[in-house]
Amino acid sequence: MSAYAALTGAGFRAQVRDKATLFFTFAFPLLFLVVFGLIFRGQEVEETGRPYISYIAPGVMSWGVANAAVFGVAFTLMQWRRDDLLRLIRMTPTRLPAVLASRYVISLAVGAVQAVVFVAVAMLPLFGLELNARWPLALPVLVLGITAFLAIGVVIGSYAETPEAVAAIANCLMVPMAFLSGSFLPLDMMPSWLQAVSRVLPLRYLNDAVSAALSGRGGIDDIAVGCGGLVVFTVIFGAIALRTFRWSNKT
Amino acid sequence: MASVPDDAATGAAIVADAIRKRYGDRQAVDGVSLQVNRGEFFGLLGPNGAGKTTLVEIMEGLRQADSGTVTVLGQSPWPRNVALLPRLGVQTQSSAFFVRQTAREHLRTVAALYGAGREAADRTLESVGLTGQRDVMVENLSGGQRQRLAIASALVHGPELIFLDEPTAALDPQARRDLWKVLRDLKSEGRTIVYTTHHLDEAEALCDRVAILVDGSVVALDSPHHLVSAAAAPTRLMIPAERMSEADAAAIPGVDRVTVQGGSLVLETAVSGKVLQAVDALIGLDGVQTRTATLEDVYLELTGGAGTEGTQSTRSAQGSDAMNSTHGTNSTNSTHGTEDMERQG
Repeated sequence: MSAYAALTGAGFRAQVRDKATLFFTFAFPLLFLVVFGLIFRGQEVEETGRPYISYIAPGVMSWGVANAAVFGVAFTLMQWRRDDLLRLIRMTPTRLPAVLASRYVISLAVGAVQAVVFVAVAMLPLFGLELNARWPLALPVLVLGITAFLAIGVVIGSYAETPEAVAAIANCLMVPMAFLSGSFLPLDMMPSWLQAVSRVLPLRYLNDAVSAALSGRGGIDDIAVGCGGLVVFTVIFGAIALRTFRWSNKT
Repeated sequence: MASVPDDAATGAAIVADAIRKRYGDRQAVDGVSLQVNRGEFFGLLGPNGAGKTTLVEIMEGLRQADSGTVTVLGQSPWPRNVALLPRLGVQTQSSAFFVRQTAREHLRTVAALYGAGREAADRTLESVGLTGQRDVMVENLSGGQRQRLAIASALVHGPELIFLDEPTAALDPQARRDLWKVLRDLKSEGRTIVYTTHHLDEAEALCDRVAILVDGSVVALDSPHHLVSAAAAPTRLMIPAERMSEADAAAIPGVDRVTVQGGSLVLETAVSGKVLQAVDALIGLDGVQTRTATLEDVYLELTGGAGTEGTQSTRSAQGSDAMNSTHGTNSTNSTHGTEDMERQG
């Protein structure tokens, strides 16, 4: 078995064997979808005349996928460093790309399952999401989104030394970002200055592009802008991640 | 495990030359030169903070020395040397496990990281006595079992050179003896072992040679037997107190000192054979015990301050604690043995 396959297997088992991880990855975002979906059931956003669910479903999905990518890699990296597993890996001939690739594939797989679950629930008659014909374009968008948020997760996981620190930093980042990027409440309802400010947030680009693909709110150009924004954030945070990465908590 | 290739049977496994490493204003390693031969069981002893860990990490290639050179199996371990790494085995902390895996899954993952097969994992679990726990989650293993799994992680790929960091620290006496057997088997297969320990009796029983490190420098480097003989520490005869008076004991020619400890009369002497004969003639040898100096006595003298008879007479029980607490209190009883030792080191 290759190092890559073994690491992916171990990561997959660790993921499915932890009920807390499963809950926060799949059930928790779903809770937001259900709560907001029920509150605004059958309603439309005044400013555009579009149903709420066409905002909430892609929004919650983007946030859930981004959240899982950030938390997953940040916790793993902090834990591997704290428990000396990074040192163990460092002392084997396994090359770093194999380690990174296994974590990447696990995050992509988690994101794929999340996306299917969230879309399936949103399409229930109770919530009534109608998929746009462009929906397959959501797949490359999600891949780019997961990549960008993985890079952010690496930065957090390199900086934080305890699980509490990971949770605190990641939540401080992801919860306000979810509201400011229109994941839970449609940005079209927000004042225009806030819409402008949200341009500096990576989740805004993921939201816009996923919305354009899934529910047709926006065109191909919105998807292209979203993808471009995510690539830029990936490069920025990827560069920071390379600089902050540490093999050990000791100097 | 595959046996070590023939060309590895000769020469040095590690050559360290004038290694120095400084952290801030603390000189962790201060000019260490030593050589570990292939197939040798080499012990690295010293108080906490003496620089053992840093020195080992430099040999492993985890850290770069500020100056000096180190060659491991003929290669430089720094920067990360992917060609060298599969030939080294390194025991990590007993927490370095992939989470939510069974012992077997963890070890198979480590084996795969080294490019070794699944059978290697099962074989290694067997050799450290964890076959019965192979399906237990790593989080649920006992302290001793975790330690054995950490050691297994260092052995799974059949390395030529093995670094072990206090491998028997958390083990009960039986598990410790079982591990001794594992270590001796590794040595008999021709592997080189470098290990740190606070168990001096263990170092004496296992090591071909030991280096004693104090404040970043090697203060002694030799076989345990040579170190003990050169130290010329007194032999102690212990006689049940009711069988002889202190005055009678002190009158025996060759007895340097007499004390009473724990119901025994303790006679210190440099000529134990002669004194034993005298005791035999006076009261017979029933119940008389002899204690010769051990590596621990040498160690305590070299690492400072603990060379009092109180510590020595209770060494087997208290030794490792005494050693941890006595570092830093500079020795006032610089004895004959110390200078001899420094010359050898």
